[in-house]
Amino acid sequence: MHAKFSADELAFQSEVRSFMRDNYSADLAARIHHPDTFRDASVEWQKCLDNKGWAAHGWPVEHGGQPWSATQKYIYSTELAAAGAPDVVPMGIKMVAPVLYSYGSEEQKARFLPATKASDIWWCQGYSEPGAGSDLAALQTKAVRDGDDYLVTGTKIWTTYAQYADWIFCLVRTSNEGKPQQGISFLLIDMKSPGVTVSPIISIDDEHHLNEVSFDNVRVPMANRIGEENQGWTYAKALLTYERTALSGVPYCKRTLANIREMAAQSQNQSSPLLSSPDFQARLADVEMDVMALEFLELRVLSAIDSGGAPGMESSLLKLKGTEMQQAVQSLQWDVVASFGGVLPAEHGAQALWQSTANMARRSYMFGRASTIYGGSNEVQRNIIAKFALGL
Amino acid sequence: MDFSLNEEQLMLKDSVAKYLLANYSPEQRSANIMQSGGVSHWTHFAELGWLTVPFTEEVGGFGGSIVDTCVLMEEFGKVLVVEPYWPSIVLAGQLIARSSNTALCERILPQLMAGELQASFAWLEGQGTFCLSHVSATAKLDGDDYILNGQKQLVLNAAADIILLPARTRGEVNSEQGISLFKIDAQDPAIEREEVVLMDGQRAVNIRFTNLRVPAENMLTAEGDAYPLIADVVGEALIALCAEAVGAMEYLYKATADYANTRKQFGTAIGKFQALQHRMVDMFMATELCRSLLIRAQCSVLDGSSERQKDIAALKSMVGKYGRQVAEEAVQLHGGMGVSNEMPIGHYLKRLMMIDSYFGNALHQRREYCELSYA
Repeated sequence: MHAKFSADELAFQSEVRSFMRDNYSADLAARIHHPDTFRDASVEWQKCLDNKGWAAHGWPVEHGGQPWSATQKYIYSTELAAAGAPDVVPMGIKMVAPVLYSYGSEEQKARFLPATKASDIWWCQGYSEPGAGSDLAALQTKAVRDGDDYLVTGTKIWTTYAQYADWIFCLVRTSNEGKPQQGISFLLIDMKSPGVTVSPIISIDDEHHLNEVSFDNVRVPMANRIGEENQGWTYAKALLTYERTALSGVPYCKRTLANIREMAAQSQNQSSPLLSSPDFQARLADVEMDVMALEFLELRVLSAIDSGGAPGMESSLLKLKGTEMQQAVQSLQWDVVASFGGVLPAEHGAQALWQSTANMARRSYMFGRASTIYGGSNEVQRNIIAKFALGL
Repeated sequence: MDFSLNEEQLMLKDSVAKYLLANYSPEQRSANIMQSGGVSHWTHFAELGWLTVPFTEEVGGFGGSIVDTCVLMEEFGKVLVVEPYWPSIVLAGQLIARSSNTALCERILPQLMAGELQASFAWLEGQGTFCLSHVSATAKLDGDDYILNGQKQLVLNAAADIILLPARTRGEVNSEQGISLFKIDAQDPAIEREEVVLMDGQRAVNIRFTNLRVPAENMLTAEGDAYPLIADVVGEALIALCAEAVGAMEYLYKATADYANTRKQFGTAIGKFQALQHRMVDMFMATELCRSLLIRAQCSVLDGSSERQKDIAALKSMVGKYGRQVAEEAVQLHGGMGVSNEMPIGHYLKRLMMIDSYFGNALHQRREYCELSYA
């Protein structure tokens, strides 16, 4: 048992660190943090990572992934966060791609994987519906056969970045027979198809990430279905465990905690820094200790995957505790910036204000409320753990 | 990075679990507590080689690391072993083994590992707030002997033949300088003894010693230099103690889920109720978080990390907080059975409460963590 890095791992760490330093510039960061430039700047950053071979590092090597160990993945995500750089927008590379390379046809793989890896396709996810949230299998968007096509009609909701998306991957109902899970198929739909309408939903961070996407007799070639008809639930379930493994956010928590410490050491609270207040220290310590534990919980899961295990119920543990800790960290950060965080930047206002710590604290606190809801609400995660870990 | 147990550790874990399953049911445990000391189990522990685990091969031990000790302690925690493995072998045993007094090592360690001799470490005086360097007992050189005066509270393992006793040869009462550590005979006539029974089945002794004469050869380090040895051994002993706590927590969440699956109310197993399921998931989560910090602290020791003290403080604090929470939830979910002394559940609560209290509870350890982190 040991947690030390080998000489090779230390060399890898310094390679990642210098890459981030040399490529994630202040100018790029400023553009990524501004809603007006977010999309193009994100694509630019992901292309930069892809040129290095890192954007899709988790993919199988034959599709352009990296043969990294759990330790290397951990080093990579830690260094990425430490540099303040965002990970890839997950819907394409992390969410639909595993379904494509696991269950897609050779033709589908050739058509979508290289373009997804190069960030030439922006994906969004069509799962939730107005009547199907935690109870995802209740979804009603239906796909009816018409010659070699499906005609898709229905509404998807909470669709992140649909306004930027070229394609959407959807769960649709192709049968009403048997259990609700049995009649679901997995379709890839071109967002430019006639009959697709995107309407914005403004979230409580006062920004536009979310959308409602409606389909009115949208024609989708059968060739865009992944795997068998009515087997979509099986594919999506496999995908969800990947989504959840990606949700613990430990590197983000560690970086934000470091930022909180820095700010609290400077802030003047009755002539002494906030960081010297025993009350504040106790709160900070509680969060830090839980994050230390979460970090090792994640490392334990990663090592288990390395030695052949698949992400299963453990990914629910990580999603559950990870999102709780992200919110705890965001809450602390808000307390440090206090009322300065309340200022709303003007819609197309200066970059500096958008990028200020106070503004970031507000945005991440507000949008962070969604983290315990998306990817399967934390209540659903607890149901899953109760069933599979405790046999209840 | 590697968090797996090696071949030998897996075998050790397996053999301990098997022995305890066959010999350590709750009924056997109660009988064991009644007959005081549990001598027969201790003899078996010795025969099985468990008493040699943390000692180096040079002194005739098994040569185990902190991981091997934790493997044992975690299994002990699952069934609430009351034998004094922690005070005698992990605390006192390691204090002797890592001391500079080789003559004492040669004399005592073989007997300790053979189970012929039991030991303890008297760390606690009457102070209200815990402080490891709080030593007001005094030792004054007189010819070839030291004369000791003072008192120590709740010295674990009342059956110990020898006690390791810190006394001040110089310095202020909380100073890390000037603490010396002596091996004394627990039955020395200069010691006034008051035995007490603790709620977790342990027996302890309060001692008061007046002009207790100890030969200088029974001092473990150079005069006044014992603090670093004590801090080092106590740090690792706390990791081992937390391994016991994690074992107890694992028992609790599993026993609670089993109970919830059999106990019927309103015509159904209460484990079907979501309000209860989610509480049991939180017990499981708390246990896994503690286990994660336990692994972190073990790695910290093995890797010689500079974060070692911080990792230990975080572990002890979290185990104190979540250990108590998990046990309280287990009692609640067992309903009336949970508050019945005949059921094992409450005994786990008592043990976890005592574990929290040793060497500073969750609050104290959090303060320790803060001082190491934000000073």
